[in-house]
Amino acid sequence: MNKPLPKRASVVIVGGGIQGLSLAFNLVEQGQRDILVLDAGYWQGGASGRNGTLIRPGFSSMAWTELFVLTVNEWRTWSKRLGENVMFTQRGYSVISETEKSEAMLIEGLKVQKSLGVDSRMLSRREIEDLLPAIDKSRVRAVQHQPEGGVAPHHAVMKGLLAFCRRSGVDVRYRTAIGGVERTGPRASAVLVGDHRIEADCIVACAGPNNPEIAAMAAVPLNGFGMRIEAMALEPTRPLIKPAIALIDSLAYFHQTARGEVVGGTEVPETPRMSLKVDVPVMAQMAKVYLDMFPQLGEVRILRHWAGQFHASSDYAPLLGEHPELKDLWFSAGWSYGFAGAPAAGKLLAEAIAKGRIDRRMKPFALDRFEKTGPIAEGGIVLA
Amino acid sequence: MSDDNRQAEVTFLWNGTPIRARQGDSVAAALWRAGITTLARSRKIHRPLGYSGAYPTGVLARVNGRPNVRLDQVRAEDGLVVEMQNTWPAPRFDLLKLARVLPPRLVYGGFEHGAWMPKAGPAYRLAERAMANLAGVARPADAAARASLVPGERMAVDCLVVGGGPAGISEANRRAGLGETVALVTRGDRLARFASAAGIVVEPLDPKVRLFAGMELFGVYRDGALMVGAPHDNRRGAVAFDPRAAVLATGRRSIPPLVRGSELPGVLDAHSALQLAAVHRVMPGRRVAVVGTGAEKGLADRLVSLGVDVVHRGPVGELEEIRGRSRVTAIRAGAEIRCDAVVHAGPWRIDPSLGFQASGEGMFQMLARPLPDTMSVAGAAALGDERIHARRHLHPGTLICPCMDVTAGELYCHIDEGETDPEVLKRLTSCGMGTCQGFPCWEHMLALLAARIGVEPEAFARPTHRPPRRSITVAQAAGLAALVEPDR
Repeated sequence: MNKPLPKRASVVIVGGGIQGLSLAFNLVEQGQRDILVLDAGYWQGGASGRNGTLIRPGFSSMAWTELFVLTVNEWRTWSKRLGENVMFTQRGYSVISETEKSEAMLIEGLKVQKSLGVDSRMLSRREIEDLLPAIDKSRVRAVQHQPEGGVAPHHAVMKGLLAFCRRSGVDVRYRTAIGGVERTGPRASAVLVGDHRIEADCIVACAGPNNPEIAAMAAVPLNGFGMRIEAMALEPTRPLIKPAIALIDSLAYFHQTARGEVVGGTEVPETPRMSLKVDVPVMAQMAKVYLDMFPQLGEVRILRHWAGQFHASSDYAPLLGEHPELKDLWFSAGWSYGFAGAPAAGKLLAEAIAKGRIDRRMKPFALDRFEKTGPIAEGGIVLA
Repeated sequence: MSDDNRQAEVTFLWNGTPIRARQGDSVAAALWRAGITTLARSRKIHRPLGYSGAYPTGVLARVNGRPNVRLDQVRAEDGLVVEMQNTWPAPRFDLLKLARVLPPRLVYGGFEHGAWMPKAGPAYRLAERAMANLAGVARPADAAARASLVPGERMAVDCLVVGGGPAGISEANRRAGLGETVALVTRGDRLARFASAAGIVVEPLDPKVRLFAGMELFGVYRDGALMVGAPHDNRRGAVAFDPRAAVLATGRRSIPPLVRGSELPGVLDAHSALQLAAVHRVMPGRRVAVVGTGAEKGLADRLVSLGVDVVHRGPVGELEEIRGRSRVTAIRAGAEIRCDAVVHAGPWRIDPSLGFQASGEGMFQMLARPLPDTMSVAGAAALGDERIHARRHLHPGTLICPCMDVTAGELYCHIDEGETDPEVLKRLTSCGMGTCQGFPCWEHMLALLAARIGVEPEAFARPTHRPPRRSITVAQAAGLAALVEPDR
């Protein structure tokens, strides 16, 4: 366990969450060796162990939908490729509208999704009854259903990734914080752990809420802002809700896990802040959503309520690629749908790093898009 | 066992069988009196669980179509329909309990990591559905039970006292005497339940203090400026307090002995054994062993004075094993002693949840600070934790987390491979992620870990404690939505 840190690595990945491990896994598949993953916290301590675990292919913009079609295709292959059961299940993803405005947006989004071959449709009243028998139908205006969407429990996913990485010789270190990023001329050349210097051909920041710190160590700018998001789990019961659900007007999302808890979160208009503590309004608001939508949940007790942190870009879309001002420093940052997107991000970044090939699906998410092409407009995300 | 004809009787149904109870009995006490000690079954291996005082999971059952109701908090009433959960196809004909013959090793990481499941395709979907039914334990509430929002209350006070024992009462009275507005929250249905049952005379509460009995104060938010409690009674609303100061007089609980068999029905903490004997007039057992860290002698004397036959009293450190299949039949403490109940009085430890919420941030734990200036601790809660006696080699079948069926053997698998981070052990095994949310099972997990690798238990940061620990229903929580504004 405690062998000394190496003096050099081909790729140093900062952050051992799902982004970092997905990248390491894909790099291994591309034939890369000497990969080092450093994480300041503990395994699953960051957002990879605190998120809603929902996965869907369809959004309302081309850029997001292309990326997430890829990610769903990747998710389907992970258990086999990792040799570990990540328990990905395509039990469907229903986006529910309660207003005329959001219904129109969902119908509009279908055009983009259909053009990219996403299986997605608006459900009839009859289909809503069949799929969601326990929902209060009087509150539902429209449902856009994506049968290929679903969930994957993060504990199983992270366990599978870590087991694969360790088996494949990736050096993964938790509770190991980096203290600096060294620059040599136009490129990033090493990271520092205390006094120890690790030279690298390439450094990739996958550090979630800590990405701005990594950027600051390398003295380069990074778009975005930090915030916490809260989620909670209800006491388990046998199955009541089948698909994953997003309520686009209430900004709430939830699903019933394979072990019975209803897990979900919502947003309230608080000042964005970085903290792992929770507050009453999210619990109360989320409870109200459950009570309104699934009255049978009213008597269920709330087991646990937690917060996770992330660093979102100003358009909530990921920041993927090499930093425009510093060669060999790469980012997988700015994520708000990072758990779902990690398989695609890992694949695209690994191809870019190992083969030098920038996939067209990655290009819209370049770090300098705000200056060059402008932010990505995506109305189908459950965030505001 | 003793007949008291002056008390009125009520009749409720347990798995379809009529059970007679006294007015005022909790359902758990009434079932104990009727000789029914297995009230629930563990999630994976379906081990029998019962009223213990330590593990709430042992008293969860379906009551009038509502899942996961705590039987020690529900009064027996005429016509109440109470059913055991985690059974299939029916409580009276339960095939799932055959899972008891499975070797525990088979379910290591089971529901959490799908080790035995197909990896993809329709076979996975089928396996997932089967697992969801097994892991879910309880059926959802009846479709007819359409709960409606239970309005909450918001209340500003000079001082909020948490805990209705002698220390809490005394502190509340002192503050009220100074002219402060004081609220006192106690989870008991009346004040000083345990002190009274132990025969201690307690001063009355100043009538100026607003008393919230039968309420769990579960949440400390905004560095103690906002604290929330909810009544056990699901029809009453939650209360959000804005206290200028708060006193934690939450006492200490006795932690079950860290030996094989400590989850068996018949193992009771001092508090619940006294409740049964002194309040409900039910004997905890016919032959009772009392163990502890010093308090066992006084407790045994008290139980004897209440008519209990105490066959053994001794230090908890000498207890090696508790034997029995569906309830306690013997203990081994040097020699084998036949008994049908084990009462433990120590090691005594503080429930850390509220203090952790007020001070710890959670990610690296080194951010844990002292309590905010507005919060103080009074009574036994200020005495600190007693050490848990842990052996280096526990029997692998020793159950550490009864909710999630996590055994010492499963934890050893990871520890012996070098994984010694409590946060990681928690995530690998789900230890402490069930009903009790880590108290007392993380106390056991940390003691086991420390003993296994030969370090002091204090070397480890404890995993994160978070509210609300199943103390509030969705309908009660929704009743707070209009009362607490987001922090802008």
